[in-house]
Amino acid sequence: MEVTGMLTGAKLLGHVGFPTTEVLGPDATEDEIQNLIDRHKLIFIKPLFRGGVGKKGKAGLIGKASDLKTALAEKERLYFAEHRHGNVIAKANGITFEAGVPAEHEVYFAITDDSRFRAPTMTLTHRGGVDIEELEKHEIASVPFDALTGLKAFVVANALTDINAPREIISPLVQHLPKLWELMHHYGMTTLELNPIRMRPGRDGRLTPVACDFKCGFDRDDARVARLGLPDYLFASDISAFEQEVNRLRTHQGQSDVFVINDKGTILAPTFGGGANSLVTEVLGDAAIISSDFGGNPPYEKMKAVASICYRHFLAQTNVLFIIGGKSNNTDILETFRGMGDALREHFSAHGPTPLYVVVGRGGPNLVRGMGNLADTLDSLGLPYRFFGFDSAISEVVNYAKKVDLWMRDGGRAEIARHLGITEAA
Amino acid sequence: MHRQGIENFPYYLGLNSLDQIATREDRVCVLNILGGESRQVTPTSHAFSGGNVVFGTSPGRAGQKLKTPVGDIPVFNNVREGVNAGHAFNVGVVYLPPTSVRDGVAELIRVNPKLTKIVIITEKISVHDAREVRAMGQANGIDIIGGNCLGVADSWNRIRIGGALGGDRPEESLLKGSVSIFSNSGGFTTTIAQYLSTEGWGTTTLISSGKDVYIHYAARDFAHALQNDARTKAAVLYVEPGGYYEHGVTFGKPTVACVVGRWKSKLTRAVGHAGAMAGSGDSAEDKENWFLEAFGVDRAFTPDDPVVSAKGALVTNIADIPAALTAVMKLNGVAPDFASTGSLALKPWIANDQGLRLPEDLAMPVVEAPEPYNAQIAKLSEQVGAVIARQTMKDKSGASVMDPNTQVTSVHGHSVLDMALEPLEAIFALPLVHEIATANDRAMLDVAVAAEVNLVGDPILVATDAAREAGNSPNTVMAAAAAIVGPNRVRRALDCASALIGLFAQSGLKDGRDEGFDFSNIRIDDETRALFLATEAEADDPRPEAMLAAITARGGKSVFLKFLGTLGGRLSRDAILAAISTTIAWGPLMRKRISRLTAETLPWYLRLYGVMVGATIPGEHHQHGSLYGIPREDRFGKWTMADICYLAMTGKKPSKEETLPLQILIGLLISNGPGSISAQGAKGAVAADGPQTPERVQINKAMMGFLTHSGYSHGGNGFEGMAFLLDQFKDAELHDPTDQNHGLDLKTMARDFALNYKREKAKAKELGAEVRALPGIHHPVFRGKAENFDPRERFVAAFMEKRGDYNVFHEYYREVVRALFDVGASRYVFCVNVDAIIAALLLALLWKDYKSGALTTRHLENAAFTVFLFGRMIGSAAEIDDHLNRGRNMDTRTPASECHFVA
Repeated sequence: MEVTGMLTGAKLLGHVGFPTTEVLGPDATEDEIQNLIDRHKLIFIKPLFRGGVGKKGKAGLIGKASDLKTALAEKERLYFAEHRHGNVIAKANGITFEAGVPAEHEVYFAITDDSRFRAPTMTLTHRGGVDIEELEKHEIASVPFDALTGLKAFVVANALTDINAPREIISPLVQHLPKLWELMHHYGMTTLELNPIRMRPGRDGRLTPVACDFKCGFDRDDARVARLGLPDYLFASDISAFEQEVNRLRTHQGQSDVFVINDKGTILAPTFGGGANSLVTEVLGDAAIISSDFGGNPPYEKMKAVASICYRHFLAQTNVLFIIGGKSNNTDILETFRGMGDALREHFSAHGPTPLYVVVGRGGPNLVRGMGNLADTLDSLGLPYRFFGFDSAISEVVNYAKKVDLWMRDGGRAEIARHLGITEAA
Repeated sequence: MHRQGIENFPYYLGLNSLDQIATREDRVCVLNILGGESRQVTPTSHAFSGGNVVFGTSPGRAGQKLKTPVGDIPVFNNVREGVNAGHAFNVGVVYLPPTSVRDGVAELIRVNPKLTKIVIITEKISVHDAREVRAMGQANGIDIIGGNCLGVADSWNRIRIGGALGGDRPEESLLKGSVSIFSNSGGFTTTIAQYLSTEGWGTTTLISSGKDVYIHYAARDFAHALQNDARTKAAVLYVEPGGYYEHGVTFGKPTVACVVGRWKSKLTRAVGHAGAMAGSGDSAEDKENWFLEAFGVDRAFTPDDPVVSAKGALVTNIADIPAALTAVMKLNGVAPDFASTGSLALKPWIANDQGLRLPEDLAMPVVEAPEPYNAQIAKLSEQVGAVIARQTMKDKSGASVMDPNTQVTSVHGHSVLDMALEPLEAIFALPLVHEIATANDRAMLDVAVAAEVNLVGDPILVATDAAREAGNSPNTVMAAAAAIVGPNRVRRALDCASALIGLFAQSGLKDGRDEGFDFSNIRIDDETRALFLATEAEADDPRPEAMLAAITARGGKSVFLKFLGTLGGRLSRDAILAAISTTIAWGPLMRKRISRLTAETLPWYLRLYGVMVGATIPGEHHQHGSLYGIPREDRFGKWTMADICYLAMTGKKPSKEETLPLQILIGLLISNGPGSISAQGAKGAVAADGPQTPERVQINKAMMGFLTHSGYSHGGNGFEGMAFLLDQFKDAELHDPTDQNHGLDLKTMARDFALNYKREKAKAKELGAEVRALPGIHHPVFRGKAENFDPRERFVAAFMEKRGDYNVFHEYYREVVRALFDVGASRYVFCVNVDAIIAALLLALLWKDYKSGALTTRHLENAAFTVFLFGRMIGSAAEIDDHLNRGRNMDTRTPASECHFVA
């Protein structure tokens, strides 16, 4: 859950009265754009991406204009711009027009929770506007502070002194930067980054920090985010319909963290436990459709609901239904297996049978009762299966599931389809 | 701001050694002790740890107690009440919902000055709250473990604090030894302990650290305590990407680190553990490098490339941990703690390939699980056959389903189209055993039914003749016969089937045809033996011997018949019927495709099949030793079910060419899904008897339910198509409807009819009268295109075409639909529907006898109805058995609120 760019950023910063550059959205009229140019001489045109997308400048995706014609040409160029950053390909849908802020100084500022200090940590440099990684260590202040008292003015002042920041920027930053902790801590953010903050001189020569770019991450487990009233679509960038549906069931009572790994995969693996999730996803590779962690002792109803969604989206393409986890400590095997089995039965009733081999690797409370219950369901559906206990290495069970998948691709699926009396092996 | 703990740490850390993490002196207070998870976990922890929980809190539930095997734990509204009641503790365990965790931590710290440790089990705590929890712990000098963890345990002290390490059997995993485990994954904390035991390594302290952004007790803290714990000779770390917790940590003792999660670098969001988001410089690969550097090795350990140093080894698969540890410890001159407890090789506990042939490396045989699981699995395997969950089955079926788009119905996964192409004897047991019969099973089934068809001397014959003479329809006549095949008439056969299943259930027999199976270990008591033997009253019944001879003649194999043959007495007909039904049912029963109830009631259905077919033959044709003049030996030894059905309809044995159309007709008519009136009748009859007390359900009455829910409109209407064709061909010189050189001008016939119909239609329109529907033409689903087809008709037509079979009536139907369009009587080319093909096939079959006068129109009508009854008898058996196994008592009724009064 990340938000980048000033269109939303300016609104968020407004909650704590932090100065921002002037921003117009994609709906701006030509008169409004002209007016912005008239007042600021230079404006920037930036594509509007959802989610966290960085390094736009380096990719040539930031346009400049000092006349309407250029501004509109840049709008056309950038409105649906594509941007590859790491593994993510983002597609823009809209642009912003942002007023240029003339300034001598650019500041980088971020707050995040740093695992080296196990505390909220401010990162600050007066050499902003560039990638932070490109700077020398002594030019950057990285200062943890107490979460209970928050980011205080003296923390900012000390940090700026330590990195020999120009005198004229210290006072305005000490005055304004602590506000950003209020925004981060009280609205459910995990990270907040402003780069650059341009130090705009006023009539009296006094500098005002003006945020010119914005990036933040939200904690999806923090209800405080809702205080901001942000529309859902802001976070819908890279979440598939399936993920949206299944993650709606996310509560602390049993996890339901599910991600699509390969929507063309052939092994559907409801996985239990974060560790098993890591191991299984790694070993399955591209065969895995989803990466999931259903551990945390989900109740029957939740397990059944999550399984139903998984089946509805992916069972038709699945060769192997692979239920896998270590020796569970408190997740009840009977309840979870009953939930998944009943969901499977209902899926078959509603959508007809599909060729499937079921592999299970599991341990934990009520193990044999759970296996027995699932076996009964699979028998009644005519599905073949093999269940392994916790005395088989998980990685070996994963490899077994992969082998079954290969067999399914190599004629096994058609054989099971024949056995089930269905003509089409989807 | 932090309290000063252990010197030289830039933050507060109080735990100096691993042996201080979970001690026998620790006394515990559990927040939200009556919450769902704690209620399950805390009693086990408390009992395993010798009763270390002094009290718990649950607002509003003061005075309640949490029962545990070692005594009740008192519950208070809050911590202050518990402390005031004199309960001292030093460890707080937090099971609160995520939004309450921070407040719970504050409560523990403020109310209890003796607090030293907190274990937070709760997951999905917001980062906001985690920040403040960390700050509170630091400011007040409290060691916090978690959150989102499974707590800590100590195998030496036999203590478990917080979560459920070791599940409900901690003693299985927490084996005393010399290795400490620190794991980001709670599940893997125990799994690693169990894996280590396979190489003979036991444990000291186990820590499930959690993997939130804030890991309150982290790798650096662990490394310090590890070095100060004399009991611990080595450590195992399970580490996931995200965070710098392990960066630059010196462990000081041999360590195996397992880093998993390279794939996560492909993602942009947290997966599983909230903190496991790969950021910059803390990916799985980065962490692998930290450990490689710390251990002085250049690559990860694998079984094929066992790279280790005395300092440690890096693995990326938890299954490699035990071997890597053994190798590292060997370099340190340290042997495992105890003998290996087993291996991690693949061991299937439970499997069923449903009769499919898998490659050898996949079809691994099941092995015995360790106790107590093996005993539990053995108990499971005592359960013979499928277990089917009961539910309300009104308008539902687990047996049949009609595809609303093609109108093709399937029964237990076999479409009626496919069944229509199978010999009748291959499919009439399918509704019950869910599989198409093998050649062996067909032979056995033919004998079983043949033995029931001749009703000479049976009151059934009197009843059916009386019913027929009273002017009843064929279904009503059949119902009279079914009524008499009540429970008492089948009790012994059912008991025999039940006894055979009981005798062989645990024998290991997989295939009922396996006459080589060694049954010498099966013991039978006198009472059961007597059950199988013919009584004196049956001395005159010639059928047992005839059945056995027929089975031998047909080459039928049955281990059950062979077994009964060793009983040393004359077998009863019931015993032989039961042996046949059990032979057929055995495979599906063992593969759990069908329930034991189905297998035990199968003789009832077989007897009903025979009687119901026999009841369609007038009484005069039932003679001692012969039926319609066909001697018993012939029928038993050679005739198929289809032959007998043909005999019942025509009084003659069919040729091969005549059997095929009949078989197709019966196959097509087997089922139209649970919504058809006949199925509703059968299901209602089962529901009314109460399937939840299956022994009270009268299967013969359920068959009557189907029969009473058939009639001149549903079943008898098959004649309408024939009547239409008879009218069209009444003046035609047609000798053989299957001869393509019939010499008739079908096009002209069809055109004349179409023109007449058009005129008739126009006239009816003028008068405002209803236009008569043409039987076999048009269908509400297959309409609207320029030319329309019923896929069922196309299927049969394609089959016949492939065989080179011809049917003049079918071709006429096709001409009629085109002519109707050509003359403007229809807006598009109507489909020829499945009823037309049924009429065409049946009329062709009976045409010669009709023309010769041997059969009257009345006979034809009866034949059309009867062929429907034969087909639907099979489909109804599927619905009856399904409802019996799956349904609830009276589940077909309609609530009063959904019923309507019409004025």
